[in-house]
Amino acid sequence: MECVVQGIIETQHVEALEILLQGLCGVQRERLRIHEICLKSGPNLGTVASEVRVLCDLEQSEPSWAVRHIGGAMRGAGADQVSVLVRSMVESKTSKNVLRLFYALGYKLDHELLRVGFCFNFYRGARITVTVASINKMLKLHATDEAVPLTPGIQLVEVTAPATSEIYTEVAYAMSSFCEYLAPLLHLSKPGVSTGVVPTAAAAAASLMSDGGGTTL
Amino acid sequence: MPVRSVLYWKPNQGNVMTNEEVMSKISECIETLHGVEDQECHCHACVTFYTPILRDERASFADLPQDFVGVLMMEQLNKQFFVMQSRWIVVEADSLILPLIEKLSSYKPKSYITLNGTLYKMGDFQIRLFKVLPDQGNLKGIIAEIEYLPISSIEQSKKIMEEMVDTLNELASKKSLEGHFVQAKANYAKYGLDDDYTSQHTAVQYAATSLTELIQSALRSHDN
Repeated sequence: MECVVQGIIETQHVEALEILLQGLCGVQRERLRIHEICLKSGPNLGTVASEVRVLCDLEQSEPSWAVRHIGGAMRGAGADQVSVLVRSMVESKTSKNVLRLFYALGYKLDHELLRVGFCFNFYRGARITVTVASINKMLKLHATDEAVPLTPGIQLVEVTAPATSEIYTEVAYAMSSFCEYLAPLLHLSKPGVSTGVVPTAAAAAASLMSDGGGTTL
Repeated sequence: MPVRSVLYWKPNQGNVMTNEEVMSKISECIETLHGVEDQECHCHACVTFYTPILRDERASFADLPQDFVGVLMMEQLNKQFFVMQSRWIVVEADSLILPLIEKLSSYKPKSYITLNGTLYKMGDFQIRLFKVLPDQGNLKGIIAEIEYLPISSIEQSKKIMEEMVDTLNELASKKSLEGHFVQAKANYAKYGLDDDYTSQHTAVQYAATSLTELIQSALRSHDN
């Protein structure tokens, strides 16, 4: 299970966001280059259709692999009361043949993406990950060297934190509190809730860039 | 890691000894080779056979694999291995893969084999002697795993492993055991595995041996 919020930011303001995050998180950023291969179950396989994402981390000298399943969002009064999306999520680290395995199991390629950017992993009331990345599509199958941005000039910001059914409210609160610091640059909300860029982003970014992060926004 | 060779016991046609009796005699063979039972160590592995879940049971599922197998080894409880012999695929994953597979609801466990065994230490060798227990029923077979500690190269250890298997089979014959150990062949190169031995090699052998054991056991039940 995880809590998640998303937002978008113009590429020109990403550097300012990085400075802000560096100051808030107190950890070094990690570069990100993830090839995400989204598979769907073939017809008739499974009680219901299922999706699975095969992730290949291309940033390391030796690519590492994982498989991720994102399930349905939590529903009910508890879920409505928090400003983050709470959803089922399981991710398993695997060896390199996992894509061949899922093809052999009857899964088919639905789409693939390349996420390029950076992330910060830190603890602030919860174990939070902030990912800032451009989302790119491949012009040819698995050709990660020939990827082009899906939305030129715009990058996706995701804030996630692992949770359980017992502690998700605390995690949601920790995330929401943290996200308030990012408000001048971008608005973060539940995935699927469209927000757009914030009008204060340019001024906030200029302030951060001129001050190197010393200014309190 | 040290090379291991997994073998299954193949009884001769007309053999009248029970598996328990054969197991006891094989233990004596290992003790003849100065094998010492490690009382502290209980060896355990589980091989799970998965089957696809179909939305329409009447539809054909011929294009879906019937040999999707999961292997869990006691020494590495935080790992799960998957093997598909027909496609030469082996995958190693952390233990979160099991709840992930469950959430997908596209494959489910159909049956499983448990391997419960004893570890014997013999100098540069270790032998794990396993009882093969299906999910329902009594002892159905015997698997032995020979480990040669000094070498991790499969090619370099090939000759000495073959000699050990021959020695075990000779001793078994002297004890009037009607059968012999057979190594389940595994073409590692086709799985993309190289000469340096790993747990994935073990998983491939367990899958091959378990499938052979199941088939043999079914044939013996049919004959009986």
